[in-house]
Amino acid sequence: MEKSVIVKNVSKKYKMYAKNSEKILDLISPKGYGKSFYALHDISFEANKGDVIGIIGVNGSGKSTLSNIIAGIIPPTSGSVEIKGEAALIAIQSGLKKELTGRENIELKCLMLGFDKKQIIELTPQIIDFADIGDFIDQPVKTYSSGMRSRLGFAISIHIDPDILVIDEALSVGDQTFADKCLDKMNEFKEKGKTIFFISHSISQMKKFCEKALWVQYGHVEQYGLMSEVMPEYEAFIKKYKKMTKKEKKAFQENVRKSRIVNA
Amino acid sequence: MKSAWKVIREQMKSLYLIRRLSLYELKSENTNNYLGMAWVVINPLIQILIYWLVFGEILGRSSKIPVDNAVEAPYIVWLISGIIVWFFVQPSIIQGSKSIYSRIRFIAKMNFPMSAIPSYVILEKFYQHLMITGIVIVILQFTEFKISIYMIQLPYFMFAALAFLFSVSLVTSTFSTIVRDVHQVLISLMRMLFYLTPFLWEPARLADAGLPDFFQKVLLMNPMYYLVQGYRSALLGASWYGIDHIGYTAYFWGFVLVTLLFGSFVHLKFRDHFVDYL
Repeated sequence: MEKSVIVKNVSKKYKMYAKNSEKILDLISPKGYGKSFYALHDISFEANKGDVIGIIGVNGSGKSTLSNIIAGIIPPTSGSVEIKGEAALIAIQSGLKKELTGRENIELKCLMLGFDKKQIIELTPQIIDFADIGDFIDQPVKTYSSGMRSRLGFAISIHIDPDILVIDEALSVGDQTFADKCLDKMNEFKEKGKTIFFISHSISQMKKFCEKALWVQYGHVEQYGLMSEVMPEYEAFIKKYKKMTKKEKKAFQENVRKSRIVNA
Repeated sequence: MKSAWKVIREQMKSLYLIRRLSLYELKSENTNNYLGMAWVVINPLIQILIYWLVFGEILGRSSKIPVDNAVEAPYIVWLISGIIVWFFVQPSIIQGSKSIYSRIRFIAKMNFPMSAIPSYVILEKFYQHLMITGIVIVILQFTEFKISIYMIQLPYFMFAALAFLFSVSLVTSTFSTIVRDVHQVLISLMRMLFYLTPFLWEPARLADAGLPDFFQKVLLMNPMYYLVQGYRSALLGASWYGIDHIGYTAYFWGFVLVTLLFGSFVHLKFRDHFVDYL
């Protein structure tokens, strides 16, 4: 199998400043100052072409940070990410400009994503067709309903046609018909042999759509393997966690948090 | 040196991108107003009227103002031919400084040519500058200062202004992204420089006011000084400013070059981590 994504020892540290003065101290002192929080700690995994990988984990475990790193939006603090081809992130926040019309936003967004003139002219009708918002395409985005906004945003990002797709909670947009349309598009990508990373809190959607699962637990990889093997264990963990008393839960959280904080 | 070269090459490659994005910038800034683009002209006009009223009429500047080469002009003519530089430089510096941190969320890719962001923000202001300059040239045709051969200096000074703004914005946009306070400092600094550059008063006044000679030397270090005097010489047909003051021209370009080298260096050094500073 051909590898498409190789993530090796990736860590992402965020500085935690108690005061603004600490920020300045950190900037000027050569070794750095203050405490850091490991959003991700020593993550390593590989993905093959055509894999559909669901990233699971509870809130605050670093799923979104990981997806941003794979998509190349934020750099890792240490470690390396090797991507064969283009990666793109599809997220809910669409980043559209309110004052401009839908059509103008399509060009703007495509420009930002590095397309040239010819490609944009080619893509625009396809995007408009997929978004399916009728005459509103020539109206300013501020007049759109939230559904229309996310449809347009999603339509744009899905037409970028990348080799590696990272979908962060994006399927929860729009009504059922639009969600189905999106799922169809995803399946199309799947058949084309693209690697897809899928983040969702809907376990049923995960089970239906993904073959592999990457369980991220408090900044590190807890398990990585077939969905049918990992998911039961994840569900078991959730169950166990739910059963804990309030005190136990708190102690558990505190423990985890402490282990992720280091000096400088 | 290497980083400056890299930044310039990136500009060349993203020329189409810069042009399109600047047009959208212009559009999204003005579509909300009923008068739309007219505000680009109305705003400076109101300011000019006020300055003319206060400094020209109330403070009684009815005598003529020396431009360069013994050419003299009435206060209002002298004022409009120079203050258009301010109307270009001020918003460009302020917007250029916050260009990166205010837009980085909108950029969905790390390999986006980040150095194009200040450029398209400046280019958007440049369109407005062209419009205002055009209007000023038309107005000047109704005075004794008609179009002359000296006008061919104008494109040179426009280019000089663009080069100056771009280099400065590379530095300020980087530092404002890392430490937001830099932007606030810049706003105060610009407010100060407005009064320390001969926009409202002519340099000859300094000697009249009995200020020491070195004070004027210090003021000359401000590159905006060079630009405003250059614009006046071109628009009012006073002199070949860049050649007559060749030493000053050398200083100006030296300033731009050093700023560009430094700006490119810090820009490239920090740009991969701009998102971390949000």
